[in-house]
Amino acid sequence: MAEIVLTAGVPHTPLLWRLLRPPIPEDLGMVASNFDRLREKLAGSRPDAIVLVASDHFRQLVTSNMPAFMIGKAQEMRGTHPNEERAFGLPFVRVPGDPELARLLLGHRELPAGFDFAYSDEPWLDHAFVVPLLYLTPQLDVPVVPVYTNTNAPPLPSARRFVELGRHLRASILGSSVRQRVAVIGTGHLAFELGGPRQFLGTSPDPEFDDQARKWMADGDVDAAVETCTFDRLLAAGNLTFQFLNFLTCMAAAGGRPATIAETTPCRFGHEPFFAWEEM
Amino acid sequence: MVNKLMWEIDRRDESVEAYKRDTVAFIDGWEAATLSPVPPYPDGGTLTPDERQAFEDWDFERLYALGAHPYLLWHLVRAIFVPERMTVEELSDAFKDAVAEHGRPDFAT
Repeated sequence: MAEIVLTAGVPHTPLLWRLLRPPIPEDLGMVASNFDRLREKLAGSRPDAIVLVASDHFRQLVTSNMPAFMIGKAQEMRGTHPNEERAFGLPFVRVPGDPELARLLLGHRELPAGFDFAYSDEPWLDHAFVVPLLYLTPQLDVPVVPVYTNTNAPPLPSARRFVELGRHLRASILGSSVRQRVAVIGTGHLAFELGGPRQFLGTSPDPEFDDQARKWMADGDVDAAVETCTFDRLLAAGNLTFQFLNFLTCMAAAGGRPATIAETTPCRFGHEPFFAWEEM
Repeated sequence: MVNKLMWEIDRRDESVEAYKRDTVAFIDGWEAATLSPVPPYPDGGTLTPDERQAFEDWDFERLYALGAHPYLLWHLVRAIFVPERMTVEELSDAFKDAVAEHGRPDFAT
């Protein structure tokens, strides 16, 4: 039967791309080493494919069409957009996809019970997908199924739905032998603000939230996370904090158990999240 | 349609340059595109007089107060102000100062 060989959560802050190169700034040293650590763990887990849970930032998905959850099922995907090359210096990339695994998660002729996914045969990955892949699989040689979540354009799915998404991913992957070794990677933010009065403070806009978040992951406390992560609480922590919800999907995909790595790494952008649920 | 216009300006270098070069003409063209819509995703859109004035004036404080999505707004503003008018650090400070008094306008799309 199939295994989930590693579940992990990492940041995708695109401004890191120009900064994480020698000489690495002192405040970003731990961010770089945590990416190194998770890259090694992912390589050691030898995944056949990666299910990558992330949120498009109004690059491909805009107000003409805004799905709550969408699965990309392309054989190959292109990554980053011209405005992300301009703003962040990110490279244009091609990433292998895995339509067969995508259909396992999405359904083939019928959607799975309890989850009405949208899908795309032409996903065009933005920095939320590209940045984690550049750091975790620099050769971009592991097939990826992108799972898009709407954490940016309200109305948003509730925290409970992100947990249910994780449970669905877990049950689908473990219940099939389409791929033997699957990694689930999620990416998002802790307390974070952009385009608001609390952006670029040089520290977290809500350290209390970040500390709670770390504990939820370390304890595997899905219920406390769901109870706390209301729209208003997340907004109070910063207007991009909704992306934290992707880590609830990770925790649920790992079976709701305590993370083996739960770090909120301080740097100029606040705290960057590094979570992992390793298989023992 | 505020969010759509911000998206359409920022997404291409040519649009950013056209908006910076002649803001009124750019908005005129964007609004005129709605008169001959091409399905399934028509170009262009419409703005209220308040919204239009804010775009004409590059008035990010007003757009923020009107409920422009913060992520789109920041990237639009960064694209048009930096580097010619100010550094990104100067812009960030000016932006924070300007929007602070408006709290959290509803930016649900």
